[in-house]
Amino acid sequence: MQATATTRAQTRWHPLDLIHCALFATLMMIGANITSFVPFLVVGGVPITLQTFFAILAGLILGSRKGAIACTVYMLIGLAGAPVFARFGGGASSLVSPTFGFIVSFILIAYVAGRIVERRGTLKSFVIAALAATVINYLFGTNWMYAAYSLWFSAPEGFSYWMAWAWMMPPLPKDILLAVLAGIFAFRLQKVLKIIPIKTDEGEMR
Amino acid sequence: MMEKMVFGRYIPGDSFVHRLDPRSKLIFVFIFIAAVFLANSTVSYALLLAFTLMSIFASKVRIGFLIGGLKPVMFLIAFTFLLHIFFTKEGDLLFELGFLKIYEEGLRQGIYISVRFLVLVLMTSLLTLTTSPISITDGLEVLLNPLKKVKFPVHELALMMSISLRFIPTLMDETDKILKAQLARGSDISSGTMKERIQAVVPLLVPLFVSAFKRAEDLAVAMEVRGYRGGEGRTRYRQLKWDWRDTTALLILLAVIVALWFLRG
Repeated sequence: MQATATTRAQTRWHPLDLIHCALFATLMMIGANITSFVPFLVVGGVPITLQTFFAILAGLILGSRKGAIACTVYMLIGLAGAPVFARFGGGASSLVSPTFGFIVSFILIAYVAGRIVERRGTLKSFVIAALAATVINYLFGTNWMYAAYSLWFSAPEGFSYWMAWAWMMPPLPKDILLAVLAGIFAFRLQKVLKIIPIKTDEGEMR
Repeated sequence: MMEKMVFGRYIPGDSFVHRLDPRSKLIFVFIFIAAVFLANSTVSYALLLAFTLMSIFASKVRIGFLIGGLKPVMFLIAFTFLLHIFFTKEGDLLFELGFLKIYEEGLRQGIYISVRFLVLVLMTSLLTLTTSPISITDGLEVLLNPLKKVKFPVHELALMMSISLRFIPTLMDETDKILKAQLARGSDISSGTMKERIQAVVPLLVPLFVSAFKRAEDLAVAMEVRGYRGGEGRTRYRQLKWDWRDTTALLILLAVIVALWFLRG
C-alpha cells in the first residue's frame, strides 16, 4: 500500500510505519514464547526463545530506525506489565533483573543490523548483519549482566567477570544457527515485503 | 495459557494504591529504586522492608500473587546470599564445619543484599500489579512529553504501545491456528536434530508474518480514512487525574527518604 503524497507530507510518521513497529513488537512476544504453544525446540530441557531472532528480523525487515523503535516498544510494554518477555515474564521488576540487558540490547542490534543491510542488501550482507547482531547481543547483554549484578547485589567477591561469561555461553551455538537462518529468512521476506529499499548487485530493487 | 494473557500482571482492585494516578506511581517507583541505595545499616534496611510491606498492605494485593512473581528471582537471591556468606571473610567467626567458615560480616552482607533486592522486586512488581499496561502507557506518554522538544516521538511511541498491547491476544490466536494447521498437514516439528528443528520454524513464521503484515495494512488504511494525523490536537478517552492521594504518596516517600538519610550508619 502506498500513502498519498499529502499524508506523507503532513505527518512524520505514516500510520503504516507506526503499525509495523507495533506489530513487530507483538511478534517478538510470540517469538519469546513460541515454545509455549507447542513443546518443540526444547533442547536439553531448556526451551529455546526466538527473542534475539526476532530482534534481528526487526532490524533486517523494518530497517534501522523502525527496527530499533519496534524493540523499544517491546521493552516498554514488557516493563508496563504485559507478559511479553520469555516465559510470559513482564512487569517493572524485569528492570532489576540482571538479564534485562539482553532486552535493552535488542534496540541496539536491530539498529545495527538494519544499518548494515541498508547500505548493501545482498544475501551475504543479510547474514553478516545477523551474525554481527548476535555478537553485539552477547557483548552488551553479558556486560550489562555483570554491571547489574554488581550494582544490585554489590558483587560478592566470589563473582568474577569471567563467571558472567561462563554463565551466558551455553546457548551460543544455537544462537549462531538462528542468526544465519534469520539472515536468509529476512532476505527472502524483504524481497516480498519491500519495506526498506535494498541495494543488491543488480541495482536497487525498488 | 490464554487466561494468563488477558490482564498480564495486572490485578484489578479498588485500593489506595490502585486509585493512584499512573504518573505518580511511575515517579514513585523510579525515586524508590534510587532511594534503596541509601540504606546501609540494619535500621535503614528494616525501614525499607517495613515501608514495602506497608505499601503491599495498602494495595490489598494478595500475597500469593507477589510470591508468584518472586519465583524467578528466588534462585538469584539465594545464590547471592550464599556467595556473600562463603566469600566475605570479615568480622567474628560464627560457624565452622571443615572448610566451611561463616563470618559475621558475610552473614550481615548476605542479609542486607537479599533484603535490598527483595524490596526492589516487590515494589516494582507492585507497580505492575496495581496498574494496567494501558494506564502505564498513558502515564508514560504524559511524563515523557518534555522529550518532544528534542523531537523524540513520544506520542507515536505511546500509540505503538497501545496497538501492540491490543494485538497480543490476536496474534497469539493466529499463531495457535497456524500451528494447528501445520500439524494437521503432518508437519513434524518436535523431532530431528537441532538444525532440523530450527528450520521447522520457517513454515510457522511465514504465515504468521504474512497475516501480521496484512493486518498492519488493514489497520493503516482504517487509520488513514479516519484522518489520523499524529498527536496534534488529539483528544483522549481516558483522562488522567492527579488528586490528593498522589501528593500524599509522594510526600510519604519523601519522608521515608529523609528518614533513611538520618538512619544511615
